[in-house]
Amino acid sequence: MAEHENLSVVLHKKHDLRLEKRPIPDPGPNEVLLKIDSVGICGSDVHYWQNGEIGDFILKEPMVLGHEASGSVSKVGSGVRHLKAGDRVAIEPGIPREIDEHCRAGRYNLSPTIFFSATPPDDGNLCRYNTHDANYCYKLPESVSFEEGAMIEPLSVAIHACRRGGVTIGSKVFILGAGTIGLVNLLVSKSMGASQIVICDLSMGRLEKAKQLGASFTIAVDRGTSAKELGQKVKQVLGGAMPDVSIECTGTELCEQAGVYATKSGGVLVLVGMGKPSANIPVLDLIIREVDVRGVFRYCNTWPVAVNMLASKRIDVKPLVTHRFPLEEVLEAFETTKKGVGIKVMLKCDPNNQGP
Amino acid sequence: MSQGVSRPTNVVTVEKRPIPEPGQNEVLLQMNAVGICGSDVHYWQHGKLGDFLMRKPMVLGHEGSGTVVKVGAGVQHLKAGDRVAIEPAYPLHNDDFCKSGRYNLSPRMFCCATPPYDGHLCRYYAHNANYCFKLPECVSSEEGAFIEPLSVAIHACRRGRVKLGSKVLICGAGPIGLLNLLVAKATGAAQVVICDLSSSRLEKAKEVGADFTILVTKETPQELAQEVEKVLGCMPDSTIECTGAEFCVHTGIYSTLSGGTVLLVGHGPALVSVPLLNAAIREVDIRGMFRYCNTYPMAIAMLASKKVDVKPLITHRFPLDQAVEAFETTKKRLGIKVMLKCD
Repeated sequence: MAEHENLSVVLHKKHDLRLEKRPIPDPGPNEVLLKIDSVGICGSDVHYWQNGEIGDFILKEPMVLGHEASGSVSKVGSGVRHLKAGDRVAIEPGIPREIDEHCRAGRYNLSPTIFFSATPPDDGNLCRYNTHDANYCYKLPESVSFEEGAMIEPLSVAIHACRRGGVTIGSKVFILGAGTIGLVNLLVSKSMGASQIVICDLSMGRLEKAKQLGASFTIAVDRGTSAKELGQKVKQVLGGAMPDVSIECTGTELCEQAGVYATKSGGVLVLVGMGKPSANIPVLDLIIREVDVRGVFRYCNTWPVAVNMLASKRIDVKPLVTHRFPLEEVLEAFETTKKGVGIKVMLKCDPNNQGP
Repeated sequence: MSQGVSRPTNVVTVEKRPIPEPGQNEVLLQMNAVGICGSDVHYWQHGKLGDFLMRKPMVLGHEGSGTVVKVGAGVQHLKAGDRVAIEPAYPLHNDDFCKSGRYNLSPRMFCCATPPYDGHLCRYYAHNANYCFKLPECVSSEEGAFIEPLSVAIHACRRGRVKLGSKVLICGAGPIGLLNLLVAKATGAAQVVICDLSSSRLEKAKEVGADFTILVTKETPQELAQEVEKVLGCMPDSTIECTGAEFCVHTGIYSTLSGGTVLLVGHGPALVSVPLLNAAIREVDIRGMFRYCNTYPMAIAMLASKKVDVKPLITHRFPLDQAVEAFETTKKRLGIKVMLKCD
């Protein structure tokens, strides 16, 4: 039966994505075997598919894609106490391999030898069955769906970004980019008590969605807008005030610059988008106005918070899932994501559970 | 009374001006010692600094200490005879920045020797009493005058998150770099490595407590970062960049441990090409600083307890009427700190 074959989405090299049957693994000590349910497609999955590499991470061997996943426990390995067969879980893809200074200090995302699903050479979760470290599988209450569980990964990017930015009650926040990442940052900022959220994008359609999800103000940017002009526009819509935190989600140099200019003195610009290795930055402005520039690398200590926020219905990620495809239609799913149509595309890996 | 005055025509002269009366909440000070800063030299040479443009003659000097001669109305905490260190910049409006303790970021500030405000390179000067800090007997007037540049270093080390056990890289061994070295060590940094183009500056750095020095020659920033790691045995948690040179900004980013901080003290051009992705994906924070805030009481305490010794950094002294020679000496970058004696 289809559900007992471990159908997996394997990237062999760029442009060469294949559906293969792989053996169902056995969970080792402290691991669980998961029957995967929902997996979201990330821009990075598409990037590996199109380019075979991201920065220093280069695909050299076939690799299973997918790192935004949820599923149910099929079998537990030895030593696993907090999970049992049947438990529904969300999967945190980054697992440190050694207890180094970063791990001990609680910033395990910075550990250089960390395992990360679907980053070469580590396999991801776009399959029917996978094993995973049980400490990085978080039980989902009944009130949280598998798709919400899979959304915890991009939501975590936002939780970490908003934390790094110091978003808190009364914050004025400026988000650059209204794609999936901009939108999750919008949701999290609101949850953290931000009083006003300005979001900008090139696309009116994306800005409309942002407004529906709670943006206080939207700014349509066109290709002719300069970084300083964008900064000025933000000040204008905020009635002369400047944002305490700016969250850059596009990776473009223009927005990195605008983020500096827009931010209030003493505030923080968080860089989520990944830009070019070298960027021209208004350094003197950030120096004399004490605007901190802080990047983010993935996240740490976010899953428990995310599960609670979803369970208590304080955050609603369901509107962000716009497309779903069965695992077998992975290529169409990837093409849809690549076209930038909709927001989050989900792959459904359990043939018996194809709904949201 | 004599004052060292810079004119927009890039001439510094010594002139006589009237002795001011202290206003409400002010004190009249007889000036004791005033240090010369790179910015004083810059105004002298260029008549401007960034957006601050000289439009009329301006008294220079913002690193000063003096003795209270007369108190204005409302002054409770100072009396005639008290020796004080002068915090030269203070906010003019009690805005949100002031209320939250970051008064240095207030958009409208008074600042000595920043156009259009006069400094205190003179014999008599009146200042806001809330920004005059009493010096104990054991802290000399020269040490008091040193509190201003020391404050730059205190604010830098705070913003740079230097703390007990930190490993610190300092780029530049000029006066600011050396002060950061003193403050970093006093803050409890375990090891400080400092780099510079000049071996004599590095010798001074070694004398005042640098654990390691690196003479920069032809390396690329990445190579220098590797040298730093080799010499320290690990990557620094904090880098304090005191040169304003793009090369050092790059070095700071490449050198710093993931999760660490690069603190930019030195000013460079408006737009700088920066290895931003490297910093971002390793969560190396890039922070700048504008002057300082809430540093004077701490500086006085550290000088009084002898935990920080700035005296080795004072290399030249001139009487006020030899101000021009003092400025020429500073401009030539001879020595470290040039002091003018005003009494």
